[in-house]
Amino acid sequence: MANIDLDKMLEKVKSSQWLLADIDWDAPGAEMISDEQRPKLTRFMSDLVWIEHVGARGFAAMAKNAPDDTLRQLYTYFHAEEQRHANAELALMRRWGMLEEGDIPVPNNSIRLSIEWLDRYADDLPYHVLGSVIPALEVALDGALCKFLLDEVSDPVCHDVFARINDDESRHLGVGFTVMEMQGHDKTLLDLVEMITPAVDLRVVLGLVVYWPLLNKMRDNVVAMGLPEEKLFGAMKKFEKIGGRTAAGRRNPFFRVISAHMKTVMDRDQLFYHVPVDLMVRLTDRIPRRLLPAVPSWVKELTAEPYA
Amino acid sequence: MGKAKQQKAENVVPMTQPGPVSVIIVGAGFAGIGMAIKLKQAGITDFVILERDQRVGGTWRDNQYPGAACDIPSNLYSYSFAQNPQWSRAFSGAREILGYIDSMVDDFGLMPFIRFNTNVQGMHFDEQKGRWQLPCEDGTLWEGRSVVMASGPLANCSLPAIDGISGFAGKVIHSARWDHDYDFSGKKVAVIGTGASAVQIVPELVKQARHVTVFQRTPGWVLPRPDYRTPGWQRRLFDRFPAAQTAVREALFYGHESMALGLIWSSPLTRALEAFGRWHLRRQVKDRWMRRQLTPDYRLGCKRVLMSSDYYPALQRPNCKLVTWPIDRVSAQGICTAEGVEHRFDAIVCATGFEVSHQGTPYPVTGVGNRQLADDWSGGAQAYKSVNVAGYPNLFLTFGPNSGPGHNSALVYMESQLDYAVRGIEKILRENLRMLDVKPEVQARYNIGIQKRLAKTNWNSGCKSWYLTPDGFNATMYPGFATQYANQLRELKEKDYRLVPA
Repeated sequence: MANIDLDKMLEKVKSSQWLLADIDWDAPGAEMISDEQRPKLTRFMSDLVWIEHVGARGFAAMAKNAPDDTLRQLYTYFHAEEQRHANAELALMRRWGMLEEGDIPVPNNSIRLSIEWLDRYADDLPYHVLGSVIPALEVALDGALCKFLLDEVSDPVCHDVFARINDDESRHLGVGFTVMEMQGHDKTLLDLVEMITPAVDLRVVLGLVVYWPLLNKMRDNVVAMGLPEEKLFGAMKKFEKIGGRTAAGRRNPFFRVISAHMKTVMDRDQLFYHVPVDLMVRLTDRIPRRLLPAVPSWVKELTAEPYA
Repeated sequence: MGKAKQQKAENVVPMTQPGPVSVIIVGAGFAGIGMAIKLKQAGITDFVILERDQRVGGTWRDNQYPGAACDIPSNLYSYSFAQNPQWSRAFSGAREILGYIDSMVDDFGLMPFIRFNTNVQGMHFDEQKGRWQLPCEDGTLWEGRSVVMASGPLANCSLPAIDGISGFAGKVIHSARWDHDYDFSGKKVAVIGTGASAVQIVPELVKQARHVTVFQRTPGWVLPRPDYRTPGWQRRLFDRFPAAQTAVREALFYGHESMALGLIWSSPLTRALEAFGRWHLRRQVKDRWMRRQLTPDYRLGCKRVLMSSDYYPALQRPNCKLVTWPIDRVSAQGICTAEGVEHRFDAIVCATGFEVSHQGTPYPVTGVGNRQLADDWSGGAQAYKSVNVAGYPNLFLTFGPNSGPGHNSALVYMESQLDYAVRGIEKILRENLRMLDVKPEVQARYNIGIQKRLAKTNWNSGCKSWYLTPDGFNATMYPGFATQYANQLRELKEKDYRLVPA
């Protein structure tokens, strides 16, 4: 997967575009969702839509900070593609009767804070930080969630949609891991220190305050929906496996930090981490809605409509 | 303008057996008309202007889209030898500029010199005779001792290279070929492109169309345009005391000249102008995400700086939407973007500018020893002081390679080129030369200097623009002040040229 030719990848991305209109949203299969599944699935799909959408904003920030034009274009496409995934998932929700026309699901507080943080700080974040966090989120959350969904839902349209989404995601990950390795390649200790220094920043600390509870919250949510915790952890391990495959990848300090953190997330016995973070989850949930800042206008770009 | 129209009809039929002339001017745009005036003023009347269209005006004839206007003040975007005291606005519209060109044709009696509907198909230099031969589409063959190629760098427009655009079932309109009969009212319209034409079209279109969607790939730096209706007293003053207008023109010239320090080179002034641009954006656009979409991520000056006070407000009108998703293709009904949505439209307006010729030539140009200008320019166009090209004697270019200003009026540069060409043509005629050909080593040395200086400019600072070839070679802009450009053209140095008597 790693060491791909980014110029060829850009061509591949350009030639692999698809539209919501390519999918027959009225095809039979929607009835396969049982009444028992529906409430759980509604919450699950809402989270998924928002994770895609937050990921999209992350790619937008990366496009702004990309070191060269090819990567800038790739991230610009990935930003749009994550939006497309969120749009397609919204369309699925509508197909399953979970949303009225023109509605979008309500994001939970953790998501709201993530959106606010991304909108305020992501553009100024060191490129290396986002370059490692995004693949981690994509593998761990996206990967695990999509796989779980396909195990649970037999609607063929859902499978068609996620075949396309996974196809896109494989390219996102290919680029993500290549970039992580590029960042670790030929770096001396001094280079690595230089790479880390800009990450020592109050904004990053604020980001952690949002990101840690978000992960634990997602873990709780998926477990509540019946996804075995091991599957989520399996996906997180995949990040460590692929990212750490080469020496260059392992040398990337951000990969190290994120891998180590993921291990901590997976290990419920690490009480020094989980007790305060779980407390943060509960605190976050209790923030009254009216105290949360207004959602930025990019959130309103979500649409389940194939045509505009 | 009226007389120009009347006379146009008399000149539609081309002469069948044109005899050799002293000068052939190709193109009756700003450059060609200016050249003709300068030749007449120098006492050279044995010339002809070949124009492919049936009307003078060139770029300003073609670009009559709603909102089309100059973005340099009219008092400077005009010829100093044909000042117009009656400009109705600080930045005049295309129609008025076209009227100005028409009035020059009338005032200087140029109509009899123009051959309309005469599309030049090639140029060949006959070394023995020392004459250029120009075969035209209508079968005529024109011969001249010298040629002024005033066909312009912005003469040809092209649809953007987006898959499927030819299969769009609705109306496709290019900004440079506006269809004035198309009624936009009640229509859903897309605008592709966000350059100099788009920022002028969009504010007008949102007034007419039901909905306008603007597709942006790269945002430009936008500065406010201090446009105003010129007061009556000013027109009367300029009319009565031309010196007053000249003084204003001079002030405008030096004002723009000082902007070179920020626009051409990276300096504290560049930072100040960028801050000004950001202030303009913040003042006009309240939404943070939209401001982010509209904030350029390259240095100011790298691409053409846009001048508009009504573009940002237009984008925020309820019937307008800015889309920054990458365009995948055009379908029969609309534009498909990478966020998975097909945006459907009645019409697509392409404000995607022009095909600027960096390498090729508009028609084959054959010089000494059958050399082809397109071959000589295959690695990027090069000339001597933007006017002459070695191996192509007695040929003068207007808006030739590296003659573009980024901060001042193109017509100021043009005047220097015209005067230089007159000097060359006078020399050919007075000394009865068969060939006046710039020495290749002189041209090479000149271009080494130009490219070295260009490397330090904002244009070559890393963005993509129509100033550069896809390889990043800058064959378009002049890296210096307008004053420097004019100074180098003040004198035609004999030692730089190979002079062959007849």
